[in-house]
Amino acid sequence: MSEIAIETRELYKEFRVYHDRAMSMKERVVNWGRHKYEKFWALKDVNLRLEKGKSLGIIGRNGSGKSTLLKVISGIYYPTKGEVKVNGKLTTLLELGAGFHPDFTGRENIYFNASIFGFTRKEINAKLDEIIAFSELGEFIDNPVRNYSSGMYMRLAFSVAIHIEPEILLLDEVLAVGDSAFQEKCMSKIKSFREKGVTMIFVSHASMQVSKLCDKAVWLKDGMIERYGDAKGVVKAYERWMDTR
Amino acid sequence: MIKKIIEIYRYREMLRNLVSKELQARYKNSVLGFFWTFLNPLLMLAVYTFVFSTIMRSDIKDFSVFMFIGLLAWNYIAGSVLQGTGCLVSNSSLLKKVYFPREVIPLSIVFANMINYILSMIILLVALLISGIGIHHDILFYPVILLVQTIFLIPLVLILSVVNVYFRDLEHTVNVLINLWFFVTPIVYPISIVPEHLRIFFYLNPATHIVEAYLAIMYYRVAPNLPALFWMFVGSIIFFWIGYLIFDHLQRRVTEEI
Repeated sequence: MSEIAIETRELYKEFRVYHDRAMSMKERVVNWGRHKYEKFWALKDVNLRLEKGKSLGIIGRNGSGKSTLLKVISGIYYPTKGEVKVNGKLTTLLELGAGFHPDFTGRENIYFNASIFGFTRKEINAKLDEIIAFSELGEFIDNPVRNYSSGMYMRLAFSVAIHIEPEILLLDEVLAVGDSAFQEKCMSKIKSFREKGVTMIFVSHASMQVSKLCDKAVWLKDGMIERYGDAKGVVKAYERWMDTR
Repeated sequence: MIKKIIEIYRYREMLRNLVSKELQARYKNSVLGFFWTFLNPLLMLAVYTFVFSTIMRSDIKDFSVFMFIGLLAWNYIAGSVLQGTGCLVSNSSLLKKVYFPREVIPLSIVFANMINYILSMIILLVALLISGIGIHHDILFYPVILLVQTIFLIPLVLILSVVNVYFRDLEHTVNVLINLWFFVTPIVYPISIVPEHLRIFFYLNPATHIVEAYLAIMYYRVAPNLPALFWMFVGSIIFFWIGYLIFDHLQRRVTEEI
């Protein structure tokens, strides 16, 4: 049996939904001991095992807990119950260009953005030329990011993200950026990740993408696993269920 | 805790970038730019020298230098506390999108203020020479005092930043209390004018020991009170550990609450 990259065991995540958020001292004293929030379980008893080098797609309707699951695995959210085991260097892409500073140049932002993912200056220097070339920004790389068009901004952000050589990559619907030519480049980059044996998890609305890119898929419904297994089978079942609605 | 330190070390480049962003952003878009780091304390010193040599004459010799030593050390404390309290809340968008050890953000605030303090020392050293006080070899204790001060400040900023996420009134409370803290620390007056029976309370204030130690090595030109500094160090280490535990526990729900 091959090595496990990601494992979740009886994972639960609870959110507090505040009705009228009491934050001031007076209200705290007045409402002492009374809970002004309701509990809401966003994930219930999620058990997953993903082997190294495999890719997993997470599908489900809005609010089914897809993004929450991704955030819990990445460490952004702390699980309420249960545990997440990650074996390898994990990189999460929830949104492109996190931490981009508009007053700094594209080049400066590459350093900052890559360092957020835990990269050292040496590692970034080694990749710099490649990142700039992939972004197709040319001489604009030394202009402040605030002068970029949204397409240029996204290309730069995606270029940094894609060059960080992760062992485990978590993606949240960030694939839809740029023109079709650029998207094509991204898709081939992701395919090459797969060939290199990078473990990947995608959150996607597009079930087509999942059946094309993933080995396995998990279908979440109200925070629980409805179905988990071979990507094509799960996607088919999900689509059939969607059609009946 | 060891695991945490290793993890933060892995994110050292991010920490470095945050610190330099903090230092650069402060004077961004100003004509003099980074030069303000030096100009700021210099002008401060000029104002005090003028006020205390012409308007409010003081019995204390070289009072402006006396005060300047305390004020620079205080600015390190106050700057870290004031910017640090709101630092997690103001970086909410980053915290929600990427995982990184959350300690990196409050740490970057403390380190940025520390670097600012060290740079302003250049002006202070020049002032010591010009005023005739001179530089004594006891100044070699400076890194030791700075280390103790930093070990005390890190947990303080960690706790304030994370509690502020759940209880936003803290930021406003801190804004007021920092003024009180300033006046109960012997910066604009020597500790000797405090009545004997009250002095014990002043020595419960960690900032008093810090300022006193800096005054010893630079103004009085003697070795700092080493037992006091040692106990301050021990206390800061314990506080450091408590601060780490509190932060580690409360940070779990930070991304949901901001």
